[in-house]
Amino acid sequence: MAATRRLQKELGDIRHSGLKSFRDIQVDESNILTWQGLIVPDSPPYNKGAFKIEINFPAEYPFKPPKINFKTKIYHPNIDEKGQVCLPIIAAENWKPATRTDQVIQTLIALVQDPDPDTPIRTDVVEEFIRDRKKFMKNAEEYTIRHALPRPEELPDTPTKKRKAKKKQV
Amino acid sequence: MAEAGVAQNVPHQLSITVENASLRNNGFLKPSPYVELTVDGKSPRRTEICRTTCQPKWNEDFTVLITPQSKLFLSVLDHNNFRKDTVIGEKKIEIGELLQYYSGRLENLELTLDLLSENKGNETPTKTGELVVLLKGLSIDVANDNHVRHKSVHSMPLTPSNVENPQSRSVLNGVRGRVRSNGSENVVPVTTSLSRTSLDQSSAQPQTQPQAAVPYPQQSQPIITAVTQTPVAVTGGAPVFTGPHIGPPATVPNGNVVQNGPEESREDPLPPGWEMRYDMYGRRYYVDHNTRSTSWERPQPLPPGWEMRRDTRGRIYYVDHNARTTTWQRPNTERLQHYQQWQGQRQHIVQQGNQRFLYPTQPQITSSAGPSASPADEDDGLGPLPPGWERRVQPDGRVYYVNHKNRTTQWEDPRTQGQEVCGEADDTPLPPGWEIRYTEDNVPYFVDHNSRTTTFQDPRPGAPKGHGVYGVPRVYERSFRWKIGQFRYLCQSNALPSHIKITVSRQTLFEDSYHAIMRLPAYELRRRLYIIFKGEEGLDYGGVSREWFFLLSHEVLNPMYCLFEYANKNNYSLQINPASYVNPDHLLYFKFIGRFIAMALYHGRFIYSGFTLPFYKRMLNKKLVMKDIESIDPEFYNSLVWIKENNIDECGLELYFSVDFEVLGQVVHHELKKNGDKERVTEENKEEYITLMTEWRMTRGIEQQTKAFLDGFSEVVPLEWLKYFDERELELLLCGMQEIDVDDWQRHTIYRHYTRNSKQVIWFWQFVKQTDNEKRTRLLQFVTGTCRVPVGGFAELMGSNGPQRFCIEKVGKDTWLPRSHTCFNRLDLPPYKSYEQLVEKLNYAIEETDGFGQE
Repeated sequence: MAATRRLQKELGDIRHSGLKSFRDIQVDESNILTWQGLIVPDSPPYNKGAFKIEINFPAEYPFKPPKINFKTKIYHPNIDEKGQVCLPIIAAENWKPATRTDQVIQTLIALVQDPDPDTPIRTDVVEEFIRDRKKFMKNAEEYTIRHALPRPEELPDTPTKKRKAKKKQV
Repeated sequence: MAEAGVAQNVPHQLSITVENASLRNNGFLKPSPYVELTVDGKSPRRTEICRTTCQPKWNEDFTVLITPQSKLFLSVLDHNNFRKDTVIGEKKIEIGELLQYYSGRLENLELTLDLLSENKGNETPTKTGELVVLLKGLSIDVANDNHVRHKSVHSMPLTPSNVENPQSRSVLNGVRGRVRSNGSENVVPVTTSLSRTSLDQSSAQPQTQPQAAVPYPQQSQPIITAVTQTPVAVTGGAPVFTGPHIGPPATVPNGNVVQNGPEESREDPLPPGWEMRYDMYGRRYYVDHNTRSTSWERPQPLPPGWEMRRDTRGRIYYVDHNARTTTWQRPNTERLQHYQQWQGQRQHIVQQGNQRFLYPTQPQITSSAGPSASPADEDDGLGPLPPGWERRVQPDGRVYYVNHKNRTTQWEDPRTQGQEVCGEADDTPLPPGWEIRYTEDNVPYFVDHNSRTTTFQDPRPGAPKGHGVYGVPRVYERSFRWKIGQFRYLCQSNALPSHIKITVSRQTLFEDSYHAIMRLPAYELRRRLYIIFKGEEGLDYGGVSREWFFLLSHEVLNPMYCLFEYANKNNYSLQINPASYVNPDHLLYFKFIGRFIAMALYHGRFIYSGFTLPFYKRMLNKKLVMKDIESIDPEFYNSLVWIKENNIDECGLELYFSVDFEVLGQVVHHELKKNGDKERVTEENKEEYITLMTEWRMTRGIEQQTKAFLDGFSEVVPLEWLKYFDERELELLLCGMQEIDVDDWQRHTIYRHYTRNSKQVIWFWQFVKQTDNEKRTRLLQFVTGTCRVPVGGFAELMGSNGPQRFCIEKVGKDTWLPRSHTCFNRLDLPPYKSYEQLVEKLNYAIEETDGFGQE
């Protein structure tokens, strides 16, 4: 109940705002504490697919932060083989009850598109990321093509034009 | 016997029906009997368990392979939910003798066996009941089997006794036999056995009579009948369901519950008898028609070897046939994993027990280190030990003292016990004009005649100042000793003469101890303890009870009891588990543990794992404040602090005066005040909210348990006696200090991009071994965020996502500082060029930074 009221509001707001990089939000009506959605990055090497994530909110939300897990494999210095992410905004020491899920998702998308070599989980990947960016980009893109999910339809509003313009460059 | 031909050893099939028994009631609790039968000590077969009865009926068929030389061994055992089953009575049958008596034909032969039980210390076994079995389907030509005759003890005439003698007659010692006429085999002659015997409980069991006439078809599944009949017999057919015991389902109609189970394999079919339904809010829940209960959690099928049963009060419990144990909790993979981990810990315990201490061991020269080192040999300037005392040395060189008068042992020197132990400074003279005096309590204080003042602070330059071991100031430590002296004085002056014997088995430590301690009036527990581990010789001069306290205090952590849990992933202190209510007897257990903990303090023994500091505060009846949440739930605390310190009106927190928490996969809703669901938290009223939240957070789900614990505790040691101490001292008093086991640490460390033989890794361990305990503790804290080692040692170190071993990873360049990731228990150790460089950087990192080391 306590968490439900807050989450319902957050969910409504997120759906209403229509994030272009977080799509297909699925929430089991019987359990608002678990959300699923697609991360749709728009810059290489991850823009060839979409990545399913699951957000789990604790019963004590917003006193405790949610947990995020990648359900789709991804080649990324900050996301490990099991899909665990070390996202500072939801780390215990940084968590604030005022942090909203849309901020968390924005931060996550930013981290996906712009890996942070200072807080790596996969040291092999981060080493490659630092030393040989080209090789990293190639590996990550191949990995994306092989494992990632198909990207959902473009949203039919203004961001689409930008996306199309960008796509042509690729 | 040795010349028995091979031909005679051909095994024959024999069908044995274990029908029923009539057991003598020991007057306390009725047993839950079952029968175990073995042939020649091999492949035991077992009947189902009949719940809580002295007149069990099984009617289970077993087919065994026997030879005329076989010995059939039947044993009636009392099944116990928590400890090892005990033998009620047993009987051995020599098949050869039977064959002899019945001319090789065992067909429809009903045997009534006297069950015998070995009494402790009693030479002659006593009769504890009778067991009726039916033997069928064996026919051997005995005439040719000289082996049988050879073995026969008494050469009875080979008169077939079947037809002419309908009454049973004694065929062997303690065995009466009767051959039933054909066709009557399906009627269980329970009544015969009852009327024949004169056991004291036989007439007091009227409820079993109707069952006796029920025919049991030969091929029926005895498992089902045996299990389902018991409750019917007791409740008289009216289903009794004790709802409150079952837990999750009780709150289903309550709209305050939200399903929050982890995502399980949705495709798995539900176990038989389960159904999925939706409530009025469209939320999914599960109905268990077997138990007539409901649950938010999707049921996992029981693991192999497990079975669900119902006790005579209709309560559901689970039987683990693999381990022959039972539990109130429905097992799932996670719980079983915990259990296995917990079981694996035992071996570490005693080892760790010997590492605990309260006072730093004084360096002793143990010249002739034998345990009987004569006190006269030691010249420590304190004079001879009091009469009856002896000084001994443990194998590890640690000194202890034996008091032969009341057979106690202790670490403290009796000559200085309860007094201030004077430090190194004692030999140096006091400054001019100063004098040392002692208070009534023998605490020294110092008089400065120059300024006409007094102080407890020793004025001599060499006097202990600064920090002693465990990081407390020496002055404080000294007063702690004084407090202990006061407490000990209270204990001693309230001691009772004589001793109490507590006999326990290692296998069933918890239940044995529980019964022993709860059976006695609490004050008796202040008598000297005399602990006996079954089957282990040895006088308890203290060592055994030391071990008992240590082992038993670990036992309360058994996940199957669900009584205590770790405070959180990074804090291995114990706290009461709110889910403990799943165990219907949990309040009794908490009372027992309260008594037990009081006994540890009273008898000056250490326990294995301490409680959380707020729990000690609760014992001391101190008010819990917001800050106390920090040690048990730092995340929750931080959020509360944030709310306190920030203006919350603008940031859409959507908080109301209500709160949720999850226990056993079920979300429990709580209103902090009346109509709290409707009252929004604002900047105006947030202080009230924080106060209410603090109170709730510290007591949620554990109020009754805490009360039961404190009740039990104060029966043995009045809580007032603890008033000398603060919560930290109480913890030290109860747990002693802990040395970090570096070998264990090293053994359970993993490496990334290093190997265990890398230079830097070798240097690292060299550093850890050479440094002192305090530095080790800080290093551990730097990497793992905690200075406590888990109960099971480093093997059990937890990260933020479950078990996570201590890890050393090669990262960066030698100019970098080491960094740590406390959520992964990982140390990033750059490849330093020398040992000195590593020590310098490591020291710098632990002293100057916390968490992510910065350059």
